Amino acid sequence: MPAKRVVPCLDVKDGRVVKGIQFQNLRDLGSPVELARRYDAEGADEVVFLDISAGEEGRSTQADWVRQVARELTIPFTVGGGVTGPEDFTRLLRHGADKVAVNTAAARNPTLVRMAAALVGSQCVVAAVDVKRDPECGWRVFIKGGKEATDLSALPWLQRLQELGAGEILLTSMDRDGTLEGFDLELLREAAKLKIPVIASGGAGTEAHFLEALEAGADAVLAATLFHEGTLPIGRLKRFLGERGQLMRLEAPCKR
Amino acid sequence: MITLLDYGAGNLASLEGALEALGYAYERAESPANASVDDLWLLPGDGHYDSAQHSLSESGWWSALESRILQDKPLLGICVGLQLLAEGSEEAPDAPGLEVFPGLVRRLGPGVKVPHMGWSMTLETRAHPAFKTDSTGWLYFVHSYALDVNECTLFSAEHGRAFTAIAAKGRVLGFQPHPEKSGAFGRRLLDHSLRWLGETPQEAK
Repeated sequence: MPAKRVVPCLDVKDGRVVKGIQFQNLRDLGSPVELARRYDAEGADEVVFLDISAGEEGRSTQADWVRQVARELTIPFTVGGGVTGPEDFTRLLRHGADKVAVNTAAARNPTLVRMAAALVGSQCVVAAVDVKRDPECGWRVFIKGGKEATDLSALPWLQRLQELGAGEILLTSMDRDGTLEGFDLELLREAAKLKIPVIASGGAGTEAHFLEALEAGADAVLAATLFHEGTLPIGRLKRFLGERGQLMRLEAPCKR
Repeated sequence: MITLLDYGAGNLASLEGALEALGYAYERAESPANASVDDLWLLPGDGHYDSAQHSLSESGWWSALESRILQDKPLLGICVGLQLLAEGSEEAPDAPGLEVFPGLVRRLGPGVKVPHMGWSMTLETRAHPAFKTDSTGWLYFVHSYALDVNECTLFSAEHGRAFTAIAAKGRVLGFQPHPEKSGAFGRRLLDHSLRWLGETPQEAK
């Protein structure tokens, strides 16, 4: 079985890394390459970039930073944001991304996931899903960066994404995102019933939260601010998880 | 000098970045007409065995690879690049293999998630002069088919069953994982492979 993964996430706007809470109040944090390189050195297992640029400027800078990240990083990375058609998958992979994440466009046109999987292989297709607790259906799917509610109930939608050929699910609890109160474990336990890997996102505040998420069945854990601010160094988190029985990629020993 | 076979398969951006970081000179070549036989050839690959084999044949690389293997010229295959060095693959029963490593590449599973995607531990199964200082470590894999462990296997990994992670025969080396995507340990193995195959890094970046 592959190791559990610790995945820092970076939001990118017009070629710069930015951060907001629940998708609001953005601050400039630096260049994607710089920050990704830092995470690589800290022992991150992969990096997710979500490009939240709107319009032409974001699109034109994207080719440059994705190429540069591919050259500089020694670990795999996913790029998402603004993916609307199958050509976005081939374009981003050509620039050097290892996987491409799709969110809004998949909810609007589910066959896109099937087309993308046929075109580039399921292993390169990540379905990003933002959900909020809802008394009617358990959890409701939101699109457009969390701004717009859909009619989709989360759990059947995850099942559907798997059937369509998604290779992995990046599951964000909007209720928990930015709260530092811990992942939505009930949600993760349900999602862990899928056959494809699930990356848990939204709510991490302490080492113990990550452990809970992995014990609830997540294959990978994602956070942004916590890693960025240095509150929780990735190396320390991975040692913590490894010491508590999780299979983690820790430093390779040298034969002497 | 390294020639990077550019036949439309494989994430060349990452591989080029790794070669540059390690200080190796390389050239991309789209056909054997633009490649020196005396270079080390680096055969990347991802996606389907069949389409990789087909585009190598179409572009003239396949016969060039067959003849350099007979002459024991240095060659490094990565991911599907390793699989092509076996006798063939279950994924494409009618497509030939380069027949350096014994056995057919077989589908992973049942009982495990396929594709095998992520970091897995690799273990040295046989000592080899290329990897005198490397015995065990995590490497990054993305594949659905794998070569069984055989007499050419240097490192093995496990996903449902044990399979070949790194193999060697003569001056041909093959990696099932992506050393260029596998952190410091992957970079080290790539560096040691290239050195053993006769390359000398210039100034590392």
